Amino acid sequence: MDNVLFKPYLHSAEDLTLEQVNAIFDKAQFFIDNYNPKEKFKDLLGVTVALAFFEPSTRTRLSFELAAKHLSADILIFKSIGSSIVKGESFVDTIRTTDAMNVKMYVVRSVFAGVPQLITQKTGKIVINAGDGKHEHPTQALLDALTLKQHYKTFAGLKVCIVGDVLHSRVARSNITILRLLGAEVRLIAPGTLLPRYLKPWNIEILETIDEAIDWADALIVLRLQKERMENGVLPSLSEFVKFYQVTYEKFTKKDKIVLLHPGPVNYGIELDYKLSDLSNCLINKQVTNGVFIRMAVMSLLQNNSVKCE
Amino acid sequence: MNILFENIRLIDPVQKIDKVLNLHILDGKIHKISEEAIKKTDDMQIIEASHLVAAPGFIDMHVHLRDPGFSAKETIATGVAAAANGGFTELVCMPNTSPAIDSLPIVYYINKKAENLPVTVKIAATITKDREGLNLSPMLELNEAGVVYFTDDGSCVCSAEVMKRAFNFATPNDLLLAQHCEEHSLTKNFSVNESETSIKLGLKGYPNIAEEIIIQRDLKLSEYTGNRRYHIQHISTRGAVDLVRDAKNKGLRVSTEVTPHHIYFTDEKIQSYDINFKMNPPLRQQEDIDAIIAGIKDGTIDCIASDHAPHSQYERDVEFENVPNGVIGLETTLGAVLTKLHHQEKIELNKIIELLAINPRKIMKMEQVKIAENETANLTIFAPNEEWIVKKEKFKSKAINSPFIDEKFIGKPKFIINNNKFITSEL
Repeated sequence: MDNVLFKPYLHSAEDLTLEQVNAIFDKAQFFIDNYNPKEKFKDLLGVTVALAFFEPSTRTRLSFELAAKHLSADILIFKSIGSSIVKGESFVDTIRTTDAMNVKMYVVRSVFAGVPQLITQKTGKIVINAGDGKHEHPTQALLDALTLKQHYKTFAGLKVCIVGDVLHSRVARSNITILRLLGAEVRLIAPGTLLPRYLKPWNIEILETIDEAIDWADALIVLRLQKERMENGVLPSLSEFVKFYQVTYEKFTKKDKIVLLHPGPVNYGIELDYKLSDLSNCLINKQVTNGVFIRMAVMSLLQNNSVKCE
Repeated sequence: MNILFENIRLIDPVQKIDKVLNLHILDGKIHKISEEAIKKTDDMQIIEASHLVAAPGFIDMHVHLRDPGFSAKETIATGVAAAANGGFTELVCMPNTSPAIDSLPIVYYINKKAENLPVTVKIAATITKDREGLNLSPMLELNEAGVVYFTDDGSCVCSAEVMKRAFNFATPNDLLLAQHCEEHSLTKNFSVNESETSIKLGLKGYPNIAEEIIIQRDLKLSEYTGNRRYHIQHISTRGAVDLVRDAKNKGLRVSTEVTPHHIYFTDEKIQSYDINFKMNPPLRQQEDIDAIIAGIKDGTIDCIASDHAPHSQYERDVEFENVPNGVIGLETTLGAVLTKLHHQEKIELNKIIELLAINPRKIMKMEQVKIAENETANLTIFAPNEEWIVKKEKFKSKAINSPFIDEKFIGKPKFIINNNKFITSEL
C-alpha cells in the first residue's frame, strides 16, 4: 500500500485516484489496529508540520494536531486569523516567513478558496487542505467515507444523500467526489437558495423533502447550516428551514437501515434534532475518532511519498 | 526626424487606401507618400518595410493610468510608455482615480502631466461625483475642458433614476455616456464567472445576467430620454451581444467595445486559481466568445479596448478572492487581436484597423487621423505576420498582471509616430 504514488499535496478530493483512497483507508486501518497511546509512531519524526489555521477551527485543528503528535512530528501552530494581515504584511509574505523556518508540511485552513494551492505554488512543500473557503475539505470526505465503509463494508449500490447548505459547503464538494469515486450514488437536498445554479459538473439528482431523502438513502450526511457565511435573506427564517429541512427524530426513526453523519459542529435544533445524537446509527462520534486516523494516514503517506521522491 | 519607410503597406480605411508605397516622415509630418522611389539623403533613416503595415494611429479608449492616487500601480508616464510600446498613439484614461476625475483641477493635472509625451492622453470623467452614483458630475464644464466621454467605470451607476438624469443632462452637447454594466446586487463578493468553474472552485460567481440586466435598463433609459448616445464598456456575454444587435437594428445610438482577453480566454483558465485571469467582468465561456466574435464580424461590436488595469505585485500576493480585479493590456492588445481575429478568424486588416483606430474615434466624435502629405504624422506601424512570445520583462508598464505572459502571438507592434515623436516598440 505504501507504493501508491501521491502528489505532494492534497488540495482537493479530485487529486485522488481510487487506488490512493483505498491506500489511505488501509493505512488508517493500520493505525487504528496498531495504535498504542504509550508508543508513538515515527512516521513524521524530525518533520516540522505547520498547522496554518487562518480561519477559526477547533475540531479540525485538534484532529490534525493529535494526528501529527501520534506520528512524532514537530508542530508549529499559527495563532488564529489575520495577525500578519493586520500589520500590513501580505499573505504570501507570511508564508515565506514560515517557509524560511524549514516547515516541511503545511496543514491549511482558510476562509478563502485556493489558499492551499497558493501555498504549494509559493513553497513547494507538502500541503494538506484542512478546508478552504467554500471549495474543499478532502480529509473530511475521506473520514466520512471510511466511517461508511466500516458500517456498510461496501460502497457498491450505497445511497448517500447530502442534506442542507450545499452552496456554501466545502464538505459537500469533497464528499460528492470521493463517494462517487468509491461507487456510491449521491443525491442532494437543500432549499433552492442553498443550491448552486450550475449542477452540471456534478450531474446530480436533487430530492425535495426530508421524507423522500430518508426513504431513498442508506446514509444521510447532514451539513451544518453555515450561518456565518450566509448573506442576509438567503432563508426567510430559521424556523422555516427547521420546519422543512430539519432531520427530525420522528422522520429519521421511521427507517431502520439508515445511518446519520455530520461533519460537526452540529447546530442541534436547526439541521438536526437533538434526540438523534443518542441513536446507535448516529455515527458522528465515530467520524471524530476516524478523523484522527485518516489524517495520520494522509500525513504519513504524503511524507513517505516525498521521501521516496527526493 | 527624417525617416523613409520603403515598400510599406499603407492602409487607411477612411480614405479607402490599401497600397504598398514609400512613406517619408520629416519632423513629425508626412512629407511624401509615393509609389515611385523617394530620393534618399544621407541624414535619412531608411527602414525596409515590405513586411510592415502603416495605419492611422491606434487609440485605446479604455485605459487605467491610475494617476492621481495610485501611482504605485502605474503613472501617466509609465502608462504612456506601455501604450507606445504596444502600438497606440492615443488613449483615453479612466476616472476611477483618487480623487476621481470629476472636476476641472484633476483634468488640468492630467493634461499637465501628459504634455510632450509620444502618446496623446484623452480623458474620460465620471458620470457622478466621486463615482458614488448619487449626484451628477459637472459634465458640461468637463466636456468644455476636453473630456471625451463619461463613465463611473469600475462600478455601475446603480440607480436608474440617476442614470436617467445623466442622460437628460447630457442632451445639450450630445455627450457620450459609457457604462460599466454590472448589477452589483447580483455580483457581491464575486471572484469568477458563474459557471461550472465557480462551483468547482468554491468561488462566488458573477452571472451573465448581471451585465445584461443593466444593458437592458440603460437601452430603455437612453431611448426614453431621446435616443441618447450610449457606450457599453467591456462587453462579455452572448446575451449582451444580442441586446446590442437588436438595439442597433432599432436605430438606437449604442456602441460597444470588447477587450482582447474576453475574446481570447474562457473561465476554464482559472482551474488552479491563477491570479492573472481575475478581472471584472470575469472571463466567460466559449459560447460567449463565439457570440462576441460574430458580433465583431457583423458590426454589432464596434471596437477593441484593452481595459488596461495595472496593479502592484504586492497587492496580488494574497488569497485569490482578495486579489484586485483587472489585467494590463496596452502591450498585448495588438498581438492578441491580430492572432485571434486576423490570423484565426480571418478578419481582414482593414477591419482590424477600423476596430483599433477608426471606430473608437467615431464613437467619441473625434476627428479621424488623415494620412496625406503635409499632415501631422499619427501612425501605428506593425508587422502583421511576425511571430513573438510575450515576455513580462519587456513590459514598459509598471505592472505585470497580464494573462498573456508567455503567449505566442502572430503580429507585433513595431513603431509609432505621433506628436513629433518616433518610438520603436521593444516588445
